[in-house]
Amino acid sequence: MIRFEHVNKTYPDGTVAVADFSLEVPSHQVAVLLGSSGCGKTTLMRMVNRMVEPTSGDVWIDDDRVSDLDPVKLRRRIGYVMQSGGLLPHRSTIDNVATVPLLGGSTRRAAHARARELLELVGLPESVARRYPSQLSGGQRQRVGVARALAADPNILLMDEPFGAVDPVVRNELQAWLLQIQDELAKTILFVTHDVDEAFLLGQEVLVLRTGAEVAQQGTPAEILLEPADDFVHHFIGGSRRHLHTEVRDGRRLVVDADGRVAGVATDPTGPA
Amino acid sequence: MNQVIAALQWLADGANWSGPGGLLARTWEHLWYTALALVVGAVVAVPLGMYIGHTGKGRTFAVGVSGAVRALPSLGLLTLLAVSMGLGLGWAVVPSTIVLALLAVPSLLAATYSGFDQVPDDVVDGARATGFSELQIVGRVELPLALPLMVGGLRAAALQVLATATISAYLGLGGLGRFILDGLSVSDYPRMLGGAIAVGGLALAVDGLILVVQRLVVPRGVHVAVGPTDA
Amino acid sequence: MNLAWVSANWPRIWDLTVQHALIALVPVVLSLVIAVPIGWASHRSRLARRTLLPFSSILYAVPSLPLFVLLPVILGTRILDPVNVVVALTVYGVALLVRTAADAFDTVGLATRDDALAHGHSPGQVFWRVALPLAGPALLAGLRVVSASTLSLVSVGALIGVPSLGYFFTDGYRRAFPTEIWVGIIGTVVLAAVFDLVLVAIGRVLLPWVRATDRTRA
Repeated sequence: MIRFEHVNKTYPDGTVAVADFSLEVPSHQVAVLLGSSGCGKTTLMRMVNRMVEPTSGDVWIDDDRVSDLDPVKLRRRIGYVMQSGGLLPHRSTIDNVATVPLLGGSTRRAAHARARELLELVGLPESVARRYPSQLSGGQRQRVGVARALAADPNILLMDEPFGAVDPVVRNELQAWLLQIQDELAKTILFVTHDVDEAFLLGQEVLVLRTGAEVAQQGTPAEILLEPADDFVHHFIGGSRRHLHTEVRDGRRLVVDADGRVAGVATDPTGPA
Repeated sequence: MNQVIAALQWLADGANWSGPGGLLARTWEHLWYTALALVVGAVVAVPLGMYIGHTGKGRTFAVGVSGAVRALPSLGLLTLLAVSMGLGLGWAVVPSTIVLALLAVPSLLAATYSGFDQVPDDVVDGARATGFSELQIVGRVELPLALPLMVGGLRAAALQVLATATISAYLGLGGLGRFILDGLSVSDYPRMLGGAIAVGGLALAVDGLILVVQRLVVPRGVHVAVGPTDA
Repeated sequence: MNLAWVSANWPRIWDLTVQHALIALVPVVLSLVIAVPIGWASHRSRLARRTLLPFSSILYAVPSLPLFVLLPVILGTRILDPVNVVVALTVYGVALLVRTAADAFDTVGLATRDDALAHGHSPGQVFWRVALPLAGPALLAGLRVVSASTLSLVSVGALIGVPSLGYFFTDGYRRAFPTEIWVGIIGTVVLAAVFDLVLVAIGRVLLPWVRATDRTRA
């Protein structure tokens, strides 16, 4: 479980990045912070592993206040995936994945065995292990990034626009794949994106954020799609552009766009499948 | 041209290579002064450059100090230190090493902090978020990626120090500069020119050697970084 | 510092300072005049780049004192002739500046030049009106480095007897008289500062558009 309690972040120049933000992400759930760039969503996420310190307020992981924990140890038990991959360019794929176990004191043999398991889990062929990040495709790099984040078997995954830099076809593939492995792994995931479709596809709970990380609406994808809290949310999720409306098909109430494509299932409490 | 031929003959004469004042011994002395100064310079410049490169603090200070040091004439500094320290001829290696090390500092310092600077921010950020401590970021991420540039700085510093070590002979020290100054004082042109050719050759050899090292220290993943998959 | 010595020897100090400045001035000017065409050639032709740039870095690796004594043999000059020092320092200046010039022309970029050609500039006009002015700031920065290193190296000529501020180093050392050495060092640094100011001032006149960016970089 991740909990934000009345968190504020003001930069020395007076910019307010986050104002009085609170949120609880239950264990094994995927919560998505959705907003345009500069809204403070990444800042919020980086407070969980203390890459950013809040000016006031607290972030909790289960019963631990993160500010009481050693940041380096904290980060080793939280998986982090970033848009650019952030892989070490001078280390091979397998060494990149083995990074955290090695830092944690595992032997090289054990760390590599673990890394091999993970490469298989993220669906990468054995041949990739010896390659360097620059020799991988964008999609492969992101899979390696996820494998690295999972290496220490963390309970929590922080994902900062992990699929933002790959082309749409690969992005769809990676999204489907993430849902699939989440079924198995059941991590607590905080996911940051500006992509509305991605947010509604992956999130069990979605927070639509305005500037200053102010919550415009929080709810399941279906709730947000069906009843946008205000014009901002309506426009942001593309309601006016896509002419979202509900229809009953086969006895289920569905959210459907102008072309008749299903955008969500209104009666499914966990969001669209 | 006759003098060049005479100088080459002087160089070819085995008698000039052996003994305590021979070319071989002088070459070793020259390399020893150079290496000593580079080590002393690196002990000062590399940690300082790593600190500046890692934290981003003190850059203006480093640029200012480097500029000031570069503007100082080495011969002036060498003679001034030798005269003011009053250590006598036997200890001339002390002022010489100080001046030569000082000469090495700007190149090494600039190369170190630029090397650290050019490590992509997202790589450092990713390492930090993965749980590298600051020391581990410096040692395992920034340093290996900065190494090619740092060796480039070492190359520039080595050439400068090697060249200036010739002047150290003026303080009565050994090294290949001896042949030039001694030859000059007794108008022994073959010896003077032979020494000059030897220093030039040594400089080129050291330059080539460090160039090879520089190619070797490029991390493999970075070597192939300019591939077609790289965005 | 023995100020009495300074005032008593003022005419000599002034004399050597002027000599020092003159010996340094020629290489600074010549290195620009020679390096720009070589840099341009290296920018335009791959063959030139592959031969001229490595050659210039080899020249730069040759230490100055040996070059001072080698040049009389090659040029047929007397060893005490200041021309040796001037030529040696020009060689260093060119070696330093060629790479800067080639890189500067490279960054000016093909796009700018294609655009200029499309606007009806002849190739010669592209060089004089587009490439050279745009490469100006980088060339100026390189020339400032050349100027500082040249002024510092001139004094090495004193070891072979060419008169400059370096005379105060050798004479001060022989007499174990620090004041004299200080005069030489301060004189060199002051000359370096004056040369730098003049170069910056010339830059301001010839490259007026650089002013804004120059300030943000400083």
